[in-house]
Amino acid sequence: MRSTKKSVVVAGLAIAGLALGACGGGTGAGTAPGGTAGATGEEAKTIKLVAAEYSKDHTKAFWDAFAKTYNEKTGYTLEVQVVSWDNIDQQSSTMIQNNQAPDILNLNAYASYAKDGLLYDSDAVLPAVAKDDILDTFVKYGTYQGKFYGFPDLSSARAFFYNKTIFKQAGITAPPKTWAELEADAQKITALGGGKVGYALPLGPEEAQGEFSMWIFNNGGDWKTDGNWVINSDKNVQTLDFLKKLADEKVTQNNPARTNRADAFDLFKSGAAGMVVGFSPLAADLDKDKKVDYGVAPFPTMDGSESKTLGVTDYLMAFKKPGNEKAVKAFYNLYYTPDQVNTFIKAEGFLPVTESGVKYFSNEKALTVYLNTLPNAKLTPTDDPAWDKVKLAVQQNLGGAMNGSPKATLDGLQRTAESVG
Amino acid sequence: MTSTTVSAPPSAGAPAPQGGPTATPRDPKRRKRILMAIGGALVAFVFVAPYLVMVLDSLRTSSDVKSTPPSFLPKVWQWDTYAQILGDERFLNWLKTSLIIATGSTVIVILVAIPAAFMTARHRFPGRGLFLLVVLVTQMFAPTSLVVGLYRQFFELNMINTYGALILTNAAFNLAFAIWILHGFFSSIPLEVEEAAALDGASRWQILRRVMLPLTLPGLVTATIFTFIAAWNEYVVALTLMIDDDKKPLTVGMRAYITGYEQHWDQLFAASVIAVVPVVILFAIIEKHLVGGLTAGSVK
Amino acid sequence: MSDSTTVTPDPAPAAGSGDQPSRMPSRTRRRRRAGRIGQVHPLVALLWLAPALALILGVVLYPAIKLFDASRGEYSITGLRKGDAGWDNYVNVLQHPDLGTVLRNTVVWVVAVVAITIVLSLALAQFLVKSFPGRRFVRWAVIIPWAASLVITSQLFVLLYDYNYGIINHVLLSLHVIGTPIDFLGDDSWTMFSMVVVGVFVSLPFTIFVFIAGLGAIPDDVMEAATVDGASPWQRYWNITLPLMRPALMIATVLNVIYVFNSFPIIYTLNDRNPGYAHDTTITFMYKLAFKSQEHDVGMSAAAGIFNVLLILVVVGIYLKIINWREETSR
Repeated sequence: MRSTKKSVVVAGLAIAGLALGACGGGTGAGTAPGGTAGATGEEAKTIKLVAAEYSKDHTKAFWDAFAKTYNEKTGYTLEVQVVSWDNIDQQSSTMIQNNQAPDILNLNAYASYAKDGLLYDSDAVLPAVAKDDILDTFVKYGTYQGKFYGFPDLSSARAFFYNKTIFKQAGITAPPKTWAELEADAQKITALGGGKVGYALPLGPEEAQGEFSMWIFNNGGDWKTDGNWVINSDKNVQTLDFLKKLADEKVTQNNPARTNRADAFDLFKSGAAGMVVGFSPLAADLDKDKKVDYGVAPFPTMDGSESKTLGVTDYLMAFKKPGNEKAVKAFYNLYYTPDQVNTFIKAEGFLPVTESGVKYFSNEKALTVYLNTLPNAKLTPTDDPAWDKVKLAVQQNLGGAMNGSPKATLDGLQRTAESVG
Repeated sequence: MTSTTVSAPPSAGAPAPQGGPTATPRDPKRRKRILMAIGGALVAFVFVAPYLVMVLDSLRTSSDVKSTPPSFLPKVWQWDTYAQILGDERFLNWLKTSLIIATGSTVIVILVAIPAAFMTARHRFPGRGLFLLVVLVTQMFAPTSLVVGLYRQFFELNMINTYGALILTNAAFNLAFAIWILHGFFSSIPLEVEEAAALDGASRWQILRRVMLPLTLPGLVTATIFTFIAAWNEYVVALTLMIDDDKKPLTVGMRAYITGYEQHWDQLFAASVIAVVPVVILFAIIEKHLVGGLTAGSVK
Repeated sequence: MSDSTTVTPDPAPAAGSGDQPSRMPSRTRRRRRAGRIGQVHPLVALLWLAPALALILGVVLYPAIKLFDASRGEYSITGLRKGDAGWDNYVNVLQHPDLGTVLRNTVVWVVAVVAITIVLSLALAQFLVKSFPGRRFVRWAVIIPWAASLVITSQLFVLLYDYNYGIINHVLLSLHVIGTPIDFLGDDSWTMFSMVVVGVFVSLPFTIFVFIAGLGAIPDDVMEAATVDGASPWQRYWNITLPLMRPALMIATVLNVIYVFNSFPIIYTLNDRNPGYAHDTTITFMYKLAFKSQEHDVGMSAAAGIFNVLLILVVVGIYLKIINWREETSR
């Protein structure tokens, strides 16, 4: 009897300890995460934002301040969760699998979510003033089946970066305007020896589609034309052949198929690479380090015609949840006021998404070269839900062309695109 | 493995220096100990070497980490990163959270594993093998694959964003190791020890507390370290369940230093060095109990 | 060690344990007290096991059920569940062209890391239980790869292995061991080796300490007796130490197999720049199916997750069968 009693006491204590652990630490989320309107359609007073972390020092700080202003101005509360870029995919998928999508999600894709019927379109939640202000090219690529869902938070445009010191050493007087010139310059730079890389070519899985976009756009190619996938068009095959040629001639860094953008940037920042495709965050880093004397130029085209640039935006999309419409609309109303959106963009070092923003930044000398090209920037086909899968296929397979056949690789991607779309 | 044989005969052929207490019998042993100390230093170096690089990288600028050609020592020493990190409120919150979660998980694992292991090791009852099997099988589920279900479960319990959720999860995922190692230790205690205590009239609980536990100290120490480290370094579940920045543990929070757009290697590595410290301190405190166990005489 | 069901004759009323009533112990009481060691009523056992059961079943069982549930669903790229898929996800996984590669990688990875770790750990543990000056500090050093998080260690090794900035290449080049840098991570012939080195490196500390604890449980008098009998160090090790280490070996092997199987950060981080699945194991394959691959299919990923568990189950089951674990755990 005694031993059993003791056993009971022990077990009881253990269970109590367990329970304490359960209730004790930390505060619960209070009410369920996200908008807490019931099915009765009562209005949500709190909405949740899941934002991607662009930088350690600015992203959270901005959104915290924004939440405060939002609360003061509108009376609604904004819950902010900041997630790093390499995890936000997993996190948002987990939430959606559990039917716990946030009210507003900051992601680099939107069309699949629109296709699944998860999003509000601009008629419901975007103030007309804001919509008019957003640059036309971004509205176009944010529109799925005639409705505007993909509201841009910030943008970037690519440009051609070159190392002036290396150019001088190699006897190159001006940045290349054609691909033939680029190839010749890369050869001259590599011939300098000492580990110098002519052109840093990132075709690794992180952003193969970004790099390749720059090249195909400047050869008159594209991913889609008139609603049809043209991934394996002759021009694109020609482009990829050219890239393979560069790699085979060893004027690029080692193993382009396994190099990500950050690695290519590191080579340029350390002064080892002569040329690379970059954007404003790279410029900011270079300015900070003051190690490399660099120049920015339009990207060379195949035949010397007008240069095209790749534009990229991320999105702040709104999830349909009962009762949160008003609060969400108030969010966008506040976000797209020039003070807010441009403060965010400036802090993170990116480019504006509104016409008023272009004016706002017109005094920044460093951004002039981008601002000029921005309104005419070409984007990847983000308005097509199939692109979300095609992009992944490109990331996983494009590099394979370096050791295989460019035509076969692009044919494979074309097949994938056609089967998905 | 060289082991000093007790019965090494005094070296008959060795020159015996006249009249000294520092004479022959101790020399082979001394040399052996010095050799072992050197060996120990080599072993230590191998284990520490990569982290030395990490420490050095925390003392140079971020861009210097990626310079070609690389240099062992920083070109320019940067000393204020540590101060920066320790003064950063975000970092301190992450540190606090990690401590809470790791300590809580460890306490619970020990409290729960001891009765379970004691019962399965020293007693027979129907379902015993089954219990051990269940414990083992549940360990085969990777947290990465269970994360979605965990999110849902804790959401329904309204425990998202709580320390409790992470403590319970970490405790559950580390229970098997604790149970198994304590089971092994409890099993190896001779029956006579327990019978003697029972003869003295001790209840099961008292036997456990007064007699068995002290003899399983190495196992307890191992289980403690193991659980603490596992909870300290857990990443996937914490990432999914914790929303507020100040409730994120170090593993999750530190991702902020390396975003896709800007990389602060110096801060990341400084934070990592700091993160290692509590674990090493804990270990230093309890390490001496690792080799314990039965000594001659306790049984007789 | 047999479990005792003998009834030991009861001495005088137990004065020591103050909560015993002071009367002559009855026959039933005697039997009950002796039964404290040995057979136990299932309900009593349950009490002692309840917290462990509650924790494990509560935290692992429910998500495992949800995992299975997800594997039978059809999911959109966003994560939204669109309906039932029956067994389609399982079929798709089995028909995946890279499955063979992934399975092969998994076997090589697990066998290599576990085997090398166990052998090295036995040796190092033996070394670290001897007393020599500075042993304490060496033990502290050994724990560091374990104390540092896997993610950080993996990232560190990515830097160390780097083609351009890696210290390893730098050292090898300076010592003229090689002429051009080795692409440790990007060169297919080197990748598995690079992964295994890191895998072993982070598994050694935990295994070493399990063995140290195990060695500590070996009674000194047994070792002394063997020495007096004239056994050589190797004989002593092979005939006494290793057999007495069987519980520790079993724990270390089984748990290492499970953890190495499920080890995600090392493979994922080291292969960050490698597209496709060329060097993935089942666990990174599962993750990539959900988020990085062109399939981007949560349902398929869940099915792969279930396969992963079944695979480990089979492997561990076979191992336990081989070593006849019932014998091990029922002393």
